[in-house]
Amino acid sequence: MENQAVKFASGNEMAILAIKQIGYDMMGYYPITPSTQIAEGLDLLRSETETDIIMIAAEGEHSAAGVCYGAAVGGGRVINATSANGLLYAIEQFPVQSGTRYPMVMNVVCRAISGPLSIKGDHSDIMFMLNAGWPILFAHSAQEVYDFNILALKLAEKVRLPVVVAYDGFFTSHQKRRCLYFEAEQTVRNFLGQKKEEYPFLDLEHPVTVGSYMNEPDLINNRYQLHLAMERAGKVLPELYQEYESISGRGYKAVEGYQAEDAECLLILLGSSFDTAMEGVDTLREKGEKVGLLTLHVMRPFPQKEIAQACREASVILIADRQDSYGGGGGNLSLEIRAALHKSKKEVKVKSLVYGLGGKDFFAKDAVSMFEWALSPDTPDFDYYGVEPGKERKERPFFAPLLPEKTKIGATKVRKEEDGSLAVQGGSLNATAGMPKRLAPGHGACPGCGIPVNLNLLLRGIEDPVVLLFQTGCGMIVTTAYPYTSFKVPYLHNLFQNGAATLSGLAEICYRKQERGEIPAGDIVFIMVSGDGGMDIGMGSALGTALRGHRLILFEYDNGGYMNTGYQLSYSTPLGARSATSHIGKKQYGKSFFHKDMPQLMAAAGIPYVATMAESNPTDFIKKAAKAAYYAKEEGTVYLRALSACPLNWNDKPMTERKVIDGAVNCCYFPLYEVENHKTVLNYDPEKFGKKIPVLDWLSMMGRTKHLKKESYKEVVEAFQQEVDRRYACLKAKAENPIL
Amino acid sequence: MERGSLPLQQGKKYYEIRLESIGGLGANLCGKMLGELAVNHLGLNSTSFSSYGSEKTGTPVKAYIRYCESGQEIRVHSPIVTPDLLVVFHEALLQDPGVWEGCGKHSRALVAISGSAKNLYTDVCCNLAELWVVNAQQIAMECHSRINVVMLGAMAKVMGFVSLSDVECICEAALGKKYPDALAGNLEGIRRGYEQVNRLNRDGVASGEPDEFSQREEEAWGYETAPIGGINPCFGSTVLSDLSPSRQGYLPIFIKERCINCGLCDSTCPDMVFQFMEGEYKGRKMMVNNGLDYYHCKGCLRCVDSCPVNALVQGLEADHPEKSHFMPNQELIRTPDYYRKAGADGYITSESFLTEKRMGGGEV
Repeated sequence: MENQAVKFASGNEMAILAIKQIGYDMMGYYPITPSTQIAEGLDLLRSETETDIIMIAAEGEHSAAGVCYGAAVGGGRVINATSANGLLYAIEQFPVQSGTRYPMVMNVVCRAISGPLSIKGDHSDIMFMLNAGWPILFAHSAQEVYDFNILALKLAEKVRLPVVVAYDGFFTSHQKRRCLYFEAEQTVRNFLGQKKEEYPFLDLEHPVTVGSYMNEPDLINNRYQLHLAMERAGKVLPELYQEYESISGRGYKAVEGYQAEDAECLLILLGSSFDTAMEGVDTLREKGEKVGLLTLHVMRPFPQKEIAQACREASVILIADRQDSYGGGGGNLSLEIRAALHKSKKEVKVKSLVYGLGGKDFFAKDAVSMFEWALSPDTPDFDYYGVEPGKERKERPFFAPLLPEKTKIGATKVRKEEDGSLAVQGGSLNATAGMPKRLAPGHGACPGCGIPVNLNLLLRGIEDPVVLLFQTGCGMIVTTAYPYTSFKVPYLHNLFQNGAATLSGLAEICYRKQERGEIPAGDIVFIMVSGDGGMDIGMGSALGTALRGHRLILFEYDNGGYMNTGYQLSYSTPLGARSATSHIGKKQYGKSFFHKDMPQLMAAAGIPYVATMAESNPTDFIKKAAKAAYYAKEEGTVYLRALSACPLNWNDKPMTERKVIDGAVNCCYFPLYEVENHKTVLNYDPEKFGKKIPVLDWLSMMGRTKHLKKESYKEVVEAFQQEVDRRYACLKAKAENPIL
Repeated sequence: MERGSLPLQQGKKYYEIRLESIGGLGANLCGKMLGELAVNHLGLNSTSFSSYGSEKTGTPVKAYIRYCESGQEIRVHSPIVTPDLLVVFHEALLQDPGVWEGCGKHSRALVAISGSAKNLYTDVCCNLAELWVVNAQQIAMECHSRINVVMLGAMAKVMGFVSLSDVECICEAALGKKYPDALAGNLEGIRRGYEQVNRLNRDGVASGEPDEFSQREEEAWGYETAPIGGINPCFGSTVLSDLSPSRQGYLPIFIKERCINCGLCDSTCPDMVFQFMEGEYKGRKMMVNNGLDYYHCKGCLRCVDSCPVNALVQGLEADHPEKSHFMPNQELIRTPDYYRKAGADGYITSESFLTEKRMGGGEV
């Protein structure tokens, strides 16, 4: 046995430790709760020079999977971590990787899939992986997360398949326990050995083609090879468990039991519930009930024989699924176990319960109730556990609906000029204070948050009825936590790689219904609201919508980071800014690349109106909103971007946020301009008002960038200033030369 | 009580602690430190975790810590229902019966208070073995520490089997290397929490039976009654949230005589607090600021910073129990039967970024 030390750590922290000790070459990732901590923790270690793993922050999970695939083909040892819809978004890539046989490891920190959106733990994501051709190990404790991460890579490289290590989101990923780990990194590396490549891709002397075009009669043979590799994984795993036990003292089997040997009634469940249920078994055993538990450490290859063997004494078997294969009469664990038991001759009663969806807590007493349910002759073969019929609710609205006459307050008027541009009258703060708020108060945004401020400014300038679509992000989470909602107007959420496309469909069906007279004519303004994070992963969808030219507004609140998941870098995070995935340390100074110039990308799509706005210039903001509404109703797609304060993650004082925004405008980091019918107009030139400040003055106002004041970051600041100056000079040239 | 020996209730396998807090006060990190304390310093086994994501559903934050003897495995992953020690980080939570769930004669409670504790026993919804109080916010402000650190010191005293030096050690381990500057203040916060926590004598104070947990009308949807697809037809219903617990001691005070009705406050307020209505100012018809909806003011003070004529000024909440110009939302067509106490739910912790910042005494 090798030397081991104690660590009080969560499942995610043990994954980080294993990944560091293994010495992976690369992680390609995109943050998603509850797996995000893994990338964050590795970036922190990287900044402290404790690992030199290459960290690539892709713009979405689909790309992250692509990054990992490319690196695996290149012969690197590669790791990924994801959850829920991230896994589903990337899923197309997984059979590509298993079919072409490139090993890697991916941690799937299991979470409920949308919609409605839940961030909590269940197994609805991982079961979508069952047909992907990846072996799937399932850890039910933080200790197993560590052990299985090490085992997984060895398995992957032995059978040349990518492998998943799955574990419960939050219950396992976030609960801290006492765990053991190898004191010497070398122990882990010796266990794994060197990676061997059968066909080294980067060997120029022996060029290979990967990813052939293959139909009948060949594809089935390729798939049979994959099947054989999976069969082999089933044989290799017990050997690996044994080898691992000899260095760690911890032995594993595909199927683990608790009081199962002589149990007449067995409860089978996956993940952390197995541990909790032991206490329920103890309670019933004290009363003389012969009950026991089983769990699986591996879902692929499915341990059919081991399960059948472990169930041979039981007369009643209850499988509790933390997801449902809707219409299948049970979750996938149930279906697979039922199939496995079909081979055994013994007469046995098998029942299934779906429980604990969306992170609903599982107590020891729930295990007791489940046993009682299973042993009762009156219960069906399949049911849900822990659902409530609820009570009738009377609809008594708090607000009157915002019908068109309520919002047509005449405070802002738009007129088309002869040259085709729009002139806006009004828009004063006093007059527009009379605009009814489209959002109710009581939302849960942080004190001083810029999102509702920007949204209210936008909607003050729009006097028509609005339909709002929010992409996933803080703005959506803090306004719509069930059973409450802040919205007083029609509102829809969709995942943030697809909001713009969804709104395209919604707007077009509305216009069609209006043409047919099925709903009243009259102007409705369709607005998608997205953070800058949503404009990374949803960039393609937004550009596609703009290129098609649907009549709607794409409104981006840019707070420069993925704030909803705890502030990881976005492509709009300023250079040098500290974030949870761009730490400051010996090797890193914060974010390593420039902020994305999204307005110019959208302007290049040739849409009629692009504008930037800031709450520090509120009347300009409101007037642009009025223009945007006009263009969205009459001509085509509009893109608006407002800089939005995040006191929590910018690490500054909530009360001074308007001044910080003003600083961003005055240093020309966030210039106020519009591109109206392809012509650029600068709305505010700080130089003319003698208000121009160096970029560093603005960066010094925020805790996330304050460190750049240090002499050692001089070069970073100089590069930043040059880029800001370059972009501003470019804008000025465009404003002076309409042809540009 | 002997150091390190666990005072286990009859029939219980674990010593259980539940922290009740509001996002931003650092209960999550406090729970983690308590977990490490047991494993690294007390020779016990432990687990710690928080009410995940609750920061984002408008409900206050809970953190859970279980202790047991070193040789014993901790198998349960479920939240703590019957705590041996309940710790309440904010007074605003006291009236919420859910906070006291599962407490009884077996429980000690520790409450962070800011003013007098005279009426505390009547606020508490259940019988308790012991009730302790500490003015955590004041101590934290005075020694440039954080509420969670002060509470950690106070908890050591209340638990009995943890010494002051144990909690000092864990604080040093968590902070010493990264934030040497903040360490002295935090150690002082711990010490003063330990020394200044008081046990309340309940002589002459009546204490009722625990209330039934009131089922709220709005939360009673189930599979037979909830609209399909998670659709929510109750538009604007977050108006039910009373967000005053989000305020951290300060609030905007409106001096109406100075107001020029420019509307800047309304344009900078994230919480729709200002009640502008048609009226007259200096003989002109215009929108006039009639007051503030303090139910929904989170105390960010953006309006104070934006007001060009000092018609809005920063005031101490304690100095203004009667808020003048308090005007509930004027767009309501039905007054809510109650307002549910809620904290801002945007406080999202990122292990490697924010918790450190908070521990370092950074502005959050």
